[in-house]
Amino acid sequence: MTPQSPGIHTRRLTWLALAALAAGLAWAPAHGQDGAKALNLLGSFLRQAAPAEAPAQPQQPAAPGGMLGNLLGAGLAPSGGNRAASAGNLIGLLSQSLEQIDEPKEIEIGRQLAAVLLGSKPLHPDMALQRYVNQLGRWISLQSARPQLPWTFAVLDDPGFNAFAAPGGYVFVTKGLVDQVAGEAELAGILAHEINHVTGKHHLQAMAKSARAGLLTQVIGSQVRGELAGAVSAQFLSLGRDLYSRGLDQSDEFEADRNGVALAARAGFDPYGLVAVLQQLRTAAPDNPLFALSLSTHPPAQQRLDLLEQAMGNRMDNLAGQPAVTVTQRMEGLEAARTASRADAPAASVPAGRRVPVKK
Amino acid sequence: MILSKFNRLRALVSCMVLLGGGLAQAQNEALHVKRPAELREAPGENSRSLAPLAARTPVTRSGARQGAWIQVRTAEGASGWVHMFDVGAAGTAAPAGAGTNALRGLTSFFNKGSAQGGTITATSTVGIRGLGAEDLARAQPNPAAVTQAEGLRQDADQARQFAAAAALSSRSVEPLPAPAPVQAAPAGGFINNNN
Repeated sequence: MTPQSPGIHTRRLTWLALAALAAGLAWAPAHGQDGAKALNLLGSFLRQAAPAEAPAQPQQPAAPGGMLGNLLGAGLAPSGGNRAASAGNLIGLLSQSLEQIDEPKEIEIGRQLAAVLLGSKPLHPDMALQRYVNQLGRWISLQSARPQLPWTFAVLDDPGFNAFAAPGGYVFVTKGLVDQVAGEAELAGILAHEINHVTGKHHLQAMAKSARAGLLTQVIGSQVRGELAGAVSAQFLSLGRDLYSRGLDQSDEFEADRNGVALAARAGFDPYGLVAVLQQLRTAAPDNPLFALSLSTHPPAQQRLDLLEQAMGNRMDNLAGQPAVTVTQRMEGLEAARTASRADAPAASVPAGRRVPVKK
Repeated sequence: MILSKFNRLRALVSCMVLLGGGLAQAQNEALHVKRPAELREAPGENSRSLAPLAARTPVTRSGARQGAWIQVRTAEGASGWVHMFDVGAAGTAAPAGAGTNALRGLTSFFNKGSAQGGTITATSTVGIRGLGAEDLARAQPNPAAVTQAEGLRQDADQARQFAAAAALSSRSVEPLPAPAPVQAAPAGGFINNNN
């Protein structure tokens, strides 16, 4: 479940503001935003945009074409050199074609975005829960269009209700979400939705969109080259923060809902799990701070439900009806099975123990 | 300060646990019937009808979900099951006109935009909120945590073992068709996903 954006005009304004920041502020936005108490990131960008324009001129490192050139569309036809030739220039590649981003590059981009998310909230310390979510997510991802990706699932130590994905197979859910879903089918629906953001390359598309608009291209592109080596550049950091604060294209959210329902069903789960979660989101007050980001970055839950109803009709009803299992019940069941197999272990280990002297 | 914030957070979390988490929110939700339907004795289209439900009949979510079916109670006190898609949140517009409905939702969503910022400020005095844009704005990348998360990966065999233990088996399911773009995404590109 990822994000949404307010609309074309505001989105464009955001990018204009971001471009101004990119050109001039030398990555002060982190400090600038500390003062911004409200979640209205757009507002804070716009407020900062005006002062940013002045220092933009002196601080802009003479990039060929320059930011003005980018704004005018020259970014797509770089004046100097063949952009495609610089393989490390991920954002440059994004501006041309997603197909030029091979799987290792996609995973590397995802790692960096995952580092931003894990920089905002740590991993939850419950390792049994982390293992369970990985088992559940990996099982669902096996039924996806990209079963061979190195899928990584993680629970963030956060009381809010949200889930995130990053390219290359990184999927995050908050502890608050795990605690508040009614059962495993609901959690499976959410993971399936996120998995479809990955298989659909929705985050790459969101980044490509800004790259194609010619904004940030050169500033970021010049930095990402060194990034495959390890460190996350300030520019990439800013991009990641922005991506997860604003969300994805609405149509990508609807697609991930639709495909998520089918994917969860394919993995043997009740297809109505995700529908139930959206009903739950619908009842959440928009000012509930535990839901604030997921509500502000996604299309309204009622709209998502309406579209799912149109897509599903009653064609999934005969795939539903599994007995409901809560996350706690499942984890206890798995633990009991593990304990039972451990109880068997001593018997099996007797011969192994006997082998020790033999070895000698 | 951080400590007290943490304590308040814990208090809220335990509160939510006591309330039964998300279920508490879904239950008692005021709904209305979107189209003529039946109040059924049990989940499923073939179950006995307890009473007809006219469009716009108010009902209250009263309990569990089983597949597509949820338990509701009528104003008259009758209790039974309806299909989730046959009910909508009370107060959200007319039945049938899904398009209008969605557009209205969108409008109100935008209208809440400015109010939302104010509310966040107000609630931040309570000190409890979920991961938000502020956290993201402050985030410093943590590649070590990514490495740790990668260390917790499960491979395909482990996933299959889990599925076997959970009695889950894969099945063939056709992709769902994309609905006609009546009120879908506001034009922004990427309608062709294979570009």
